[in-house]
Amino acid sequence: MKDFESKDLYVNRELSWLMFDERVLGEATDTSNPLMERLKFLSITASNLDEFFMVRVASLIDMQHAGYNKKDIAGMSVDEQLAAISDKTHELVDNQYFVLMHTLLPLMEAEGIHVITKHEELTGTQAEFVDRYFEEEVYPVLTPMAVDSSRPFPLVRNRTLNIGALIGKKGEDSRDFATVQVPAGLDRIVEIPSEAGRSFILLEEVIERNMSKLFLNYDVFCAYPYRIMRNADLTIDEDEAADLLKEIEKQIKRRQWGEVIRLEVADDIDPGLMEILKMELSVRSDSIYRIAGPIDLTFLMKMYGLGGFVNLKKKVYLPKPVPEINDGADIFEAIRNHDILMHHPYQTFDPVIDFVKSAASDPEVLAIKQTLYRVSGNSPIIAALEQAAENGKQVTVLVELKARFDEEHNILWARRLEQAGCHVIYGLVGLKTHCKITLVVRREEDGIRRYVHLGTGNYNDSTAKLYTDVGLLTCSEQIGEDATAVFNMLSGYSEPLYWNRLCLAPLWLKDRFIHLIEREEKNALAGKRSYIVAKVNSICDREVIQALYRASCAGVKIDLIVRGICCLKPGIKGVSENITVRSIVGDFLEHSRIFYFDNAGNYEVYCGSSDWMPRNLLRRVEIMFPILDEGLKKKVIYILETLLADNVKARVELSDGTYERIERTGGEAVCAQETFCEWAKSLVKESDTVENSRVFIPIEGA
Amino acid sequence: MAVRTFAAIDVGSYELGMKIFEFTNKGVVREIDSIRHSIELGTDTYQRGIIDMAHMDELCYVLSDFSAIMKSYKVDDYKAYGTSAIRETKNTAILIEQIKLRTGIKVDVLSNSEQRFLHYKAAAIKGARFDEFISEGCAIADVGGGSIQISLFDNDALVTTQNIRLGVLRSMDMLAALQPRTRDVEGILRELIDNQLHVFKKLYLKGRSIKNLILIDDYVSSMLYHTGSKDRSFTADSFKQLCGKIKTLSPAEIASMYGINEETVPLLLPALSIVSRIIKITKAEKIWSPGVSLCDGMAYEYAEKEKLVHYRHDFENDIIACAKVMSKRYEGNEERNELIERIACDLFDATRKIHGMGKRDKLLLRIAALVGDCGRYISMEAGAECGYDIIMATEMIGVSHAEREIIANIVRFNKMQFRYYDELASQSLIDRASYLKIAKLSALFRIADGICRSYRTKVGDVRFSVKGNELVINVYTVDDINLEQGFFFRKASLFEEVFSIKPVLKYKRR
Repeated sequence: MKDFESKDLYVNRELSWLMFDERVLGEATDTSNPLMERLKFLSITASNLDEFFMVRVASLIDMQHAGYNKKDIAGMSVDEQLAAISDKTHELVDNQYFVLMHTLLPLMEAEGIHVITKHEELTGTQAEFVDRYFEEEVYPVLTPMAVDSSRPFPLVRNRTLNIGALIGKKGEDSRDFATVQVPAGLDRIVEIPSEAGRSFILLEEVIERNMSKLFLNYDVFCAYPYRIMRNADLTIDEDEAADLLKEIEKQIKRRQWGEVIRLEVADDIDPGLMEILKMELSVRSDSIYRIAGPIDLTFLMKMYGLGGFVNLKKKVYLPKPVPEINDGADIFEAIRNHDILMHHPYQTFDPVIDFVKSAASDPEVLAIKQTLYRVSGNSPIIAALEQAAENGKQVTVLVELKARFDEEHNILWARRLEQAGCHVIYGLVGLKTHCKITLVVRREEDGIRRYVHLGTGNYNDSTAKLYTDVGLLTCSEQIGEDATAVFNMLSGYSEPLYWNRLCLAPLWLKDRFIHLIEREEKNALAGKRSYIVAKVNSICDREVIQALYRASCAGVKIDLIVRGICCLKPGIKGVSENITVRSIVGDFLEHSRIFYFDNAGNYEVYCGSSDWMPRNLLRRVEIMFPILDEGLKKKVIYILETLLADNVKARVELSDGTYERIERTGGEAVCAQETFCEWAKSLVKESDTVENSRVFIPIEGA
Repeated sequence: MAVRTFAAIDVGSYELGMKIFEFTNKGVVREIDSIRHSIELGTDTYQRGIIDMAHMDELCYVLSDFSAIMKSYKVDDYKAYGTSAIRETKNTAILIEQIKLRTGIKVDVLSNSEQRFLHYKAAAIKGARFDEFISEGCAIADVGGGSIQISLFDNDALVTTQNIRLGVLRSMDMLAALQPRTRDVEGILRELIDNQLHVFKKLYLKGRSIKNLILIDDYVSSMLYHTGSKDRSFTADSFKQLCGKIKTLSPAEIASMYGINEETVPLLLPALSIVSRIIKITKAEKIWSPGVSLCDGMAYEYAEKEKLVHYRHDFENDIIACAKVMSKRYEGNEERNELIERIACDLFDATRKIHGMGKRDKLLLRIAALVGDCGRYISMEAGAECGYDIIMATEMIGVSHAEREIIANIVRFNKMQFRYYDELASQSLIDRASYLKIAKLSALFRIADGICRSYRTKVGDVRFSVKGNELVINVYTVDDINLEQGFFFRKASLFEEVFSIKPVLKYKRR
């Protein structure tokens, strides 16, 4: 049997991620997207890159410091990976700014939207407006800091935009460093008077123009914006931490002092100023990014959010109602009637909120248990849980304090829920609870009935409008039993002696996936039907990939829909020639995880919270749940088929690990996300047609 | 109320478990939650004889949590039982008191036989499969942390039940002590088990054909469940193959292949060895693991008590069958004992208003009647004391230690002078309620025994009626019962003293 150990059969996960960001950038260059949408995609590439640095690059740098020299799946050492990331990222950043400065800004200009990136370009009236704005709005919130022999180099906060300057006392030759943070509390884009169209200037330009007002009695020789990124990884010894909540709070504060792993500066920065920044921030040369435009492109999302410009944006899609749940109807009765599958954001997330809200006020409900990983700013789910606790329900909430970048947020929620009387648990030592499950225990006439919601996405009503996810509402006894066991386990109790339907990581999920893949392999070898479709966000688990390679060699056709990282290389003769990989980057973030295994015609369909990554399979609590209802299975298969038919937003991975758009030679254009929007609309119409039908059909006699 | 919920808590040797059950008015029992927490109380008890502070705190913490969970289900009732780890620890009373104070949960300590009886009941309520298995020669092996209970069935009836003090945890502890000196862990384990089972084999398996084995345990059963047998049954050969395969696997592989927590693999391996040896010694051909626990038995007990469900199997009959087997072993006069049992039962029923005792007390009286002459096997002279000792040393499935003491005392005071509370309490832990039961049941038993005083059974029909301050006993017989009449007064005096009613024996020749 082949062992598939050769490094040539794999793509480095970081480089694969950077290719994903390139695909997002590809959407910013796609002329079929409206202009404002293209700005949005460009902004996403920037925020993606920030996160990539804070987490992945930071982690590699930690490994480098620790002398870790094990090679990755693609045979690259840590040093080699960091070097390759640096090269690739510099190229990506150059491309981002090329797209902005040479394509998008000129197109905006043509549409009458003037973005002034250099304050020197302001007209007289505009300059006057800007200066007044500075004095009235900006100046009061600025804290300029100068560095000299008595004042040390200040703490420059992670991901903040700053303006560095060289200043000197009037009449003296000496030059000191000074810095001022561009206040995050003020809008980054400032609309200014315009003779035609609309004009905007960036806040840092407003400050830069007025720099001398901050340092009276000083000459400002030069001023340039800069931004740093720090190592944001938390290192928590959970075994030793007596109070996880307090320990994480402490670590978050410490994160502000993390090592600088990236410095962005204006490309024309003064060499003297550059030297000071480099030295004081202890930043390596290859971690310095000279930016040919405004630093930190996330402001483009604000631009996208500006009122107006309707003709430059796609029409906002409003999630459609779920036809099985009529407005105002009893949600528990609806679930009792039938399992309900929801496809967000095409279908609204409201039933999930209603599920928790109804449970909170229903006198028959005894307990509500829920896992929370990332929740929205003003979460209606949190409010419902608080209400439930106040109504005397037993409310158990697992708040994952270790959800990256949501730690502070989640600490606040945890405290709030505790104050309301909820039983808040923080999960299991060493594992992040990533599964999305809600259990409602209801006392009914014929006994206890458990209602369960299982999802592929977070209980976050905001992201549920943007992320594609699948959710299942069921009162299946077997799933209910398993859901109870999940919460018992998360509360620290032993796992049950057996599970009925749910499969959990890190317990069995990886083995189960491998077993399911191997079953297809055996079927193919036995001449039976075999087929695998998997839709995940990332694939980088070596054993899963090797199982897929083996299955492919046995003749199993495997279609993978992978949004982001994919370390697997498809189409290699004798290895993966039966595997296809496609990535869909569209208006909505592909987030659902769906699995189809043909099982010689007795097909099985699963959904879950886990990707095929070691972190999901080994270090997180994840759930894979089966779709048991035949009708719902067909719905899920339709989702997969539609995604596989996409030839508008899908890119296919080539055998060298790169991606290319699908050639559409005359065939019909299929955009899966648009198809799903139409589908959701048609489902509502169908149910309306049935309910509002004015055609009376007589019952026929025997 | 249409539906009742009940929580069963098992404070076990290596695990603290709680199951929430629901009983519908249609007689359906449904398990709605099962929570388990690993805590090796047994290691403390078996090694040091006492449960330490850390475990005590942990125990109370988890029980408080159980209490909250019970509240969340709004359970109507609960029962918490402690088994061998709690029973055998030196500080049982303090522990129980602490638990009550800190968690509000009252833990009752089960005797081994009560505990096993509940396991057995849990298996028996599985219905057809159980009936099928016990219809032929069958052994029930209940493998616990501290000991193994083996019960034998023949033609649907329970023949005997024996406790062997070698459970999974105890054998592990014994192994831990030996391990540094040897590498043949499995061999030692086999030797330990075989030594214990050897006596059992000689005493109880001789001439008996055991075809089926019902296995009650935590770890092997759960592993067998994951092997995919739908009805949870296996042949001895397939079990042997499975054991052979497991020996070749690493703990991680075992955990992964059989769906068990890796941490429990070290407990699975001795459990497998124990079960393998039991299969070998009993020569059982078929194995069934119903996958039941003490909590399931507790649910049955509750449902039975509250008359929430009706089961086919007559468990009282099992206890009676066991008593008869015991009597046989000690060469008891079967015919006479059964006659005394019948008369005692009639007397019990006729005087129900006077003594105010219930069904369970009647069962104790029946057992006493059936084993009443066992002491004579040892000594004709000191039969009463010997009978007491035999009963106290013989486990009867389904009968608690306290109940056994009542039976033993009834048997003792049938022949010996009755002792009053202060004297009795100075020699044992008998409480006042039990003492009163001993007094009342002894009074009844002595009458029944007095009626058929000789060891020939000449009494035919006996009728009892209470008239004023007299208990009139009409005995219809064709034989001469002068002997019975002569001794009757001596036997009847306790009845008069206990109930202030004078027994009067009337003899009517047929």
